[in-house]
Formats: sequence, C-alpha cells, structure tokens
Amino acid sequence: MEAIRNAFDFSDFPRLDLTIAGLGILFLLIFPALPHSSFAMATMIQFLMFSLYGMGWNTIGGYAGQVDLGKAKYVGIGAYTTAVLMIRWDIPFWFSMPLGMVFAILWSFVIGYPLFRLKGHYFAIATIATSLVVKDIFEVWDFVGGARGLELPLKGHFPDFLYLQFREDYYYYYIILGFFVLGVLYINAFRHSRLGYQLRAIKDNEDVARSLGIDVHWSKIKAYAVATAFVAMVGSFHACYNFAIEPEDTMSLDLSILIAMMAMLGGAGSLWGPIIGAAILVPMKSYLGSWLGGQAGLAGLDLVIYGAIIMLIAAVQPRGVWGIVEAVRARKRGSHAAA
Amino acid sequence: MMRKFALVLTVLAALGLLVSGAAFAGAPKEIKIGVIYPLTGGAAAAGRVLRNGAELAAWIANNKIQGVDMDMAKKAGIQSLGGAKIKLIFKDHQGNPQLGADLAKKLIKDDKVVGILGCYFSSVTKTVSAVCERYGVPMINGSSTSPALTTRGFKWFWRTTPHDKWFTKDLFELLVGLTQGKVRGVKAVPRQEINTIVSACEKTEWGSHVSSLIKDFAKEYKFNLAKSILYSAKSPDLSSEVQSMLAAKPGAMLFASYTSDAILMIKTLKSMKAKPKLIWGQDAGFDKPEFRQLGADIEGVLIRSVFLPSVAKVKKVAGQVNALYKKRYGVDLDGASARAFTGLQAWVHVLEKAGSTDPKAIQKAANAIDIPGDQLVVPWAGIKFAKVGNETGQNIKGMGLIGQYQMKNGKLTLQIVYPFDLATADMIYPFKGF
Amino acid sequence: MEAFWVEILKSLVSGLLMGLVFALVALGLTVIFGVMDIVNFAHGEFLMIGMYTTLVTAPLLGVDPLITLPICGLVGAVLGVISYYGLVKYLLRGPVIAQLFGTFGLMVFLRNLALLFMGSEPRILHKGVLVGKSFVVGPGLVLESTKLAAAVLSLASFYVVWWLINRTRLGKALTATSLDRQGARYMGISTELMNALAWAIGGASVAIAGGVLVNFWPVDPNVGLLFTMIAFATVALGGFGSIRGALFAGIIIGFIVQIPPVWDAALGLLGLGGGDAISLHPFKYTFVYLIYFIIMIVRPQGLFGWKQ
Repeated sequence: MEAIRNAFDFSDFPRLDLTIAGLGILFLLIFPALPHSSFAMATMIQFLMFSLYGMGWNTIGGYAGQVDLGKAKYVGIGAYTTAVLMIRWDIPFWFSMPLGMVFAILWSFVIGYPLFRLKGHYFAIATIATSLVVKDIFEVWDFVGGARGLELPLKGHFPDFLYLQFREDYYYYYIILGFFVLGVLYINAFRHSRLGYQLRAIKDNEDVARSLGIDVHWSKIKAYAVATAFVAMVGSFHACYNFAIEPEDTMSLDLSILIAMMAMLGGAGSLWGPIIGAAILVPMKSYLGSWLGGQAGLAGLDLVIYGAIIMLIAAVQPRGVWGIVEAVRARKRGSHAAA
Repeated sequence: MMRKFALVLTVLAALGLLVSGAAFAGAPKEIKIGVIYPLTGGAAAAGRVLRNGAELAAWIANNKIQGVDMDMAKKAGIQSLGGAKIKLIFKDHQGNPQLGADLAKKLIKDDKVVGILGCYFSSVTKTVSAVCERYGVPMINGSSTSPALTTRGFKWFWRTTPHDKWFTKDLFELLVGLTQGKVRGVKAVPRQEINTIVSACEKTEWGSHVSSLIKDFAKEYKFNLAKSILYSAKSPDLSSEVQSMLAAKPGAMLFASYTSDAILMIKTLKSMKAKPKLIWGQDAGFDKPEFRQLGADIEGVLIRSVFLPSVAKVKKVAGQVNALYKKRYGVDLDGASARAFTGLQAWVHVLEKAGSTDPKAIQKAANAIDIPGDQLVVPWAGIKFAKVGNETGQNIKGMGLIGQYQMKNGKLTLQIVYPFDLATADMIYPFKGF
Repeated sequence: MEAFWVEILKSLVSGLLMGLVFALVALGLTVIFGVMDIVNFAHGEFLMIGMYTTLVTAPLLGVDPLITLPICGLVGAVLGVISYYGLVKYLLRGPVIAQLFGTFGLMVFLRNLALLFMGSEPRILHKGVLVGKSFVVGPGLVLESTKLAAAVLSLASFYVVWWLINRTRLGKALTATSLDRQGARYMGISTELMNALAWAIGGASVAIAGGVLVNFWPVDPNVGLLFTMIAFATVALGGFGSIRGALFAGIIIGFIVQIPPVWDAALGLLGLGGGDAISLHPFKYTFVYLIYFIIMIVRPQGLFGWKQ
C-alpha cells in the first residue's frame, strides 16, 4: 500500500520538472496521431524500449553504483523465453513475458551471488565476461536455434493482442508506452523504498552502510534482480515486435554497452536520467545511422560522437546530464540562504 | 468556435483527398524497388558486386541497349507500365538480420517501394522476407541459398537462385565422378583417397544448413565425414579449428565461408602446410575479387558457382553482358553479381507481365512467369517458380556449376569442371598443397 | 596413438607461442594498473591502432612490416600520453564509476574512429618477410614464422620492461609510486610524470604487440574487445600489477585456448571423433572468460599479485 502511494509521490521534484514531465507524457500519448514517418515511429518505440532498459539498469548501476555492462543477456532470456514458448507451446505473450522475467530473475540470483563479491572495475569486467559466456552458449544450443536464431510464426490475423502481432506499429507503441509508464511509477516507488535508501547508502560508502546493519551483498542482489526483470520484460516485447531473434541481436555486448551508456549519459542514479539519456541517444543514433547508412564512408560517426560525449561527461560531470541540471540548480540555490 | 473548426477540418480533408487522388490517377513514371545488401561489414566486398550487378540490370532495363540479345535491353523502361523506369533504392544491412528487417519496414512504409530485392545473407533474407510477408509486399531473392527459405509456405517470396541442396549434391556428384574417371583430364581416383572428408561452415542460417546438408549427403553417398565444424564468420583466429580438421587427415576439405573468413581459412591452411587432395568452397567468400587476390595460393581450389566468365563460351548473352559489366566495373561478372543481375531482371519480367504495381497483380504475374533460359546470363534452363509442393516460390529451372581456380599465363582464371560435359579445362587433381 | 601425441605437441607449441603474445598484450595493462590503479577499457583499442599502424605504414614506406614496429611503439606511447593528459588525469579525480566510463568512452571513441577511417572489413598483411612462411620441425610439427617472431619479441619486451623497472632510476621511481604514492611524492618523484610514463610504456608495448599480431591476425575495428578481455583475464590471473604474473598467466591462457583441439584429439584417441562429436571450438574464449570469473572469486590477487 505504501509502495503504491510512493509510486505516485513526485513531491520531491520542483514544479518545473513535473510540468515538463507532464508535457512529455502528453506528447507521448498523442504522438501517433501527429503526422509521422514510419521511421519516426520506429525511433519512438526504440526510445521507449531503451528508456525502460535504462531505468532497469539504473537500479543496479545508478542507485547502487555497481556498473553493470552485461545486461543484454537478460534481454535475451526474456526474448527467448517468449519466443520458445510461443513456437513450441503456443503460449501467448502475456504468460510468456512474466515467465521470462521469472527465469531471468532466477538466473540473476545464480550469477549475482558470486558476482557481487567483486567491486568496481572487477565487477564490470565480470559482467562482460558472463554476458559473453551466455551468448556463446546460446549460439551453439540447438534448442534455441543456435546462431540461426528463432523466427516467430505469424498467427495470420491482425491485430492479435494475445500474441502481440500487429501490422501497424502504433499498437506496439501504446503497449510499450504502457510499460514505460508502469516502469516510471515503479522506479519512483523504488526510490522511496527501503531498498532504495539502502542502495544509496551503499553507493556512498559500503563499509559505513555495512556497519549500519545493511546486508550489502543481499541488497545488491535484489537491485540486480529488479534491473534484470525490467530488461527481460522489454526483451519479451522485442521478440514480438521483431518476429525474429538471434543471439547476436539480443545478447550482444554492443547492446549492453548502449544500455549502460544511455543511462550514464542521462544521469545514473536519478529517475529522469535514463529517459533523458535515451531521448538524446536513440534519435541521434537512428537518424545519424540511417542518414549515414547509405553513405558507407561515414559509418561509425555517430558512435564516435557518443564516445566523445561519454568521455567528456565522465571527466567533467559523472552524474550525467541530470547531474549538470542538479549542479546548476544547486549553485542557484546556494545564492539564497538555506531554507 | 466548434463550427469553424469543423469547417476548416473538412476543407483540409477534402484537399487531402484531392491531392492523394491525383497521385493515384496517373501511371507511375518511376517504379521503386528496395534493394537491401551488405554494403559494409565483413561482406562489403560482396555487397559491392551485388550492387553493381543490380545497377547494371536496371540500366539495361531502363534504356535501349544495342548488342545485348535480351528482351529488356530492346526497350526502355517497363512497356506495360507506360515506359516507367526502375529506380533502385539501396540500403545497407551490414550483415545484421535485425537491421535488415527494420530497413525493409522503412522501405515499405516510408519509401513506398513496389517490391524488394535482396539480401544475400540467408539470415537477413529470412527476416526481411518475414516483414514482406506480413505487409503483403513482393520480394524476389536472387542470391540466398539456404533451402529453408522456400519451405516456409510464404506467399510473397520468390527465389531465382537454386539453393544449397542442389549445389551440395553437385559436389558429391563431382566427388563420385572423380572416382569413376568422369572428370575431364583426371584418371579415376581410388576411393580411399578422398573418402575421408571434413567440413567447416560459418554458423548462421546459411552455413549451418550447408553443414547439415553435407552430413546428409555424406551418409547417402557413403563418405566418411570425420569432422564437422561450425565457426563464427567474424572469428579472427581459426587455427585451432583448422588444426582439428587436419588432424583427421582428410582427403577433401569442404567449406562454407563468407569473404574474410574464406581468406583466413586459406591463410591458416597455408601456415599449417595443409595438403588435402581437394578443397571446395560453397561459393560466397570463395567467389570474390578479394579472395582471388590470394593468387597462386588458391590454384586448385574448387568453388560452387552459378556463373563463371567461361559460361560465355556456351551462352552468347553472358558474354555480351559481361563485356558491359567489365567495362563499367573493371572486373568480370561473378556468381554474386550475375545473380543480382538476374534477380533484378526477374523483377523486370514480372512487372512487365503484371502491367500494374498492385501487389496482387505482381503476385499473380510472379507465380505465372516463365522466362526462357536464353534471356539469362546464368546457365539455367530458365526461371519458373514452383506453385505447389513444399518449395513454393523456388525457381525450378536453375542449375549449379563447379569451377576451379587455375593459373593460365600467369593470371588466375576460373574454369568449369562440372557438369562434366560443360568442362572448359582439365581439372587439377590433386590439390598441390602449401 | 602416435598421432595423438603429435597433436598434443602441436597444441603445446601453439599454446606457448600464442600465450607469449597474450602476455605481451597484457603487459601494458598491468604496468598501468600497477602505477595508478586504473583499468583501461580501451586497452584492446590501443592494440588495434598498433595493428593498423603497421598495416598502413609498411606498404606506405615500402618496408617490411617488422621495421614498422618502432613506429608502432611511438604511436602507442604518444597515444598513451595523450590519453593520460587528455582524459585519465581528470578521471582519477572522480569516483570509480567515472573512471570506468571514461576509458569505456575512449574505447567506443577509438573503435568507431577506426571504423570511420579504416572501414569495417578485416584486413591482414599479405606481404612481409615472415608472412605466410612456416617450416616443419620433427614429426609433422609446423611452426609459423610470424608466431615464432611474435613470441620472441614478447620475451624480449618483457626483458626490456623488467630491466627498465628494476635497473633504471626511472623504473625505480615508477615502482615507488605504485607502492606508495604519497611517499614517493615526498621523495620528489612527480606523480604526474610517473602516471604519464606508465601510460607511455603501456601504450607502446601493446601497440608493438599489435604491430606483430597483424602479421597473422586480421585487424578490424572490433578486434580490440577480444584482446581486452584476454588481457584482463591474463592480468587477473597473474595478479594486477605484476609483470612476472602477466608473463606466466599469458602462457597459461595460451594453453587454455588450446583446449578444443586437445579435446578433439582426445576424442579421436578414444574413437569418439567424427562428424557428430561435440565440438568445443565455439567455446575457445569462453574458457578464458570463465577463468577470469573463477580467479576473481577464488583468488582475487592472482598468482603473483600484491594488489587487490
């Protein structure tokens, strides 16, 4: 009950932020009605997906401060669970998605338990290593189609809400938008929850947190599980949206990197950060990528820019765009006396 | 206030209808076809020649060209559509099936293409054709050879090229033919010399199917398949795979590789001083200019192909088009460019027959088309797509060739060794080793 | 039976040679870490740049690729120093998460810069004194000249770095800084200079490794990742900061990568080989990642490490 109240508790944000957020939600709601190219629609869906990925990542990477560069494997688990369940046993999305989340969470406990004995860079590298191992396994595992991947069969009649098969993109859009809103509310509740505070204490200083009686190891694992659930959920959606999945596209290191980068750019450890990060990077990547795609000579320019931006942010303001916003505000506030 | 608003809305709507109506009124002067190829990435080499092939075909179709005995060269544009010209819109899938599907969606919904041609990588063709099937947009595939592509019962997918099952069977026919003395220039080879075979295939859609086909045919033709390896085409190091293959002391080594891995395989074999009796590559990487840069090192390597310049000796049109291609791009047509050319040519014939850009009309035309072999640069009996059975959309009049790299006057050439009666030179056997 | 032992011998030799190459790649990483506790995610990209340097300058200058190695070293050193003064210096001030992302951004930046300028196709040296040449030794053992040269170079580099660290004043200053930064500063050793020096040595050694590698290993913009992971595993196994550790660990990792052919040989011996046998080849590097994981959990200081 308290959690639900917390979910809607945005009171600690200044009015300006809430107004902008409100306008943002309004825009998202009416977007499909505005004239748009299918490319713009695809970009918006990507934006919502990556926002969710980022919000998930944020729980472990932002609030807990443990940089996780291996989230993609859980995208894969979510996607593959949905795909396999549908292909083999005709199970609809709405059952397979939660199942995917469950598998992902279970697996995250298995990996998380030993993983969180590590810290800092060692942890980060270990997350990369585990992702690569899982991807390698999926690539030779015939049950999931190996490197060939899986193709979701067409049910034939559109629209199909049970299996999430639509011809028009705006159905997908509203479904992912729904998840997005739920995600924001969840993170908001998370922020206010005990676990949220525990994680922030751990991020500040682990030893002090431990001395306060917080079970550091277990908290991290719980946060990791939350992140995993988010990511697996979107993975399931991804499988239905794309009708085909393979290890290279659902579990690649590039995907893990993108997720982490967007959240970090926008501001790891804040509610809006991942959304901002996705809002900047997804359209940039989409439009730069497609514009440059025909001109083979300029491939890679988009990521060169991100790399540079990340370096800049890391050196100057590790708390990302949101960190800049907060720093500017703090300075302004500092000119008034503390209230 | 509401009434004014409603009035404005109605006027706008009416204008909108008028404008769109006008757009549909006249016959299209331009027919857009989306072409999705790997223009960057490890197979960029292939992407380039594929693009060249398709562009040449479009150019011939759109203009009256002298000296080429093809129907589409004699007219400018699609006659049944008022002389409309073909416009190709190229997209780069970078070898990524996901990206390919996204690009297909974009071509269909934003660029409003009439149809799609592509994608070379069977893994990308798989996802792109699924998109086309979903949206009811016709797709012709010129170069992807995974048999699975035409067993899905799709209604909007047609493939002109024969697929790997045919090609792999050709290989085993050649192997058996060697032991029976049917190969030009080679006395009958004792069976135990080539009875032990090994295979290494890239592991995505295409290679993995070739791998299982090799397994099946080895069983059927009673060869001993001692090692069957799947590897990643992007892998930078194949030495342990090659080491394992050589440990089995194979007579014949069979490969299904894209360009960079084909080159790496040969280099690795060379560095390990391999000496198999026979090396065969299932086209793709083995049939590219970059691969041919290995020069004398690959003399004796056999490749499955669908087109060699020597085909000009038996097909006049092939020579004529090859001359044009060579003039424009500086190299001969190869299996990839020839099939891209043929794929677009199929589009031209289908559009000509359909007389409309309506998808259903195109579908009907594609299912009914029967292009005679003398129209094609490739040595096939023609193009006719199966309508019934379990391989709908597959061209049943195709054929494969097996060529061998041979040095002639210090230059690397490709000679036909199979079918036996089309052989253009004596086959070099055994492989001279490194 | 004899064939089995020949295969094992081949694997041992291959493992040793490649292992020395891995060790050389890891050397730079461990030196940098030893001095300043920062892990360079872009390490593999420095290697890639070394590879491209040789690939491009050899035909440009019309010389044998081996001669371009000093150029690689120079390029690597300069790149290392620029990275330090341009980025790492600032990262050191921030939290660990910033350091991680900083070098991570550098990795993405360099990787795509290469994509932009060099294209995506894998390339390898075709001409060179050693390229493509191998000679046969004993019972069917084939040695590739390029790998042999790489191994020799690796040993030489280790010796040089060891000598630098232990027999020169500069080296001693470097060691002092890594042991006790404050203390070293009180002794008048400039931390800044030591940091930059570490990056110069680190960058140079891995770039040279790249220059040799491209004789037998194709380079493309993404080649760095695999080597970054291998380098991390090597350094973890050997002990972060330990040069001796990097050498031994590299060789061990080289052997680990040989597990698939050894497995195949063993299967062959037991008569279980054949077309349908389980192949471990796709897991070649998976074993390396697993080793990293296991070491970090079981013995985080590695074999010879004295730092965590």
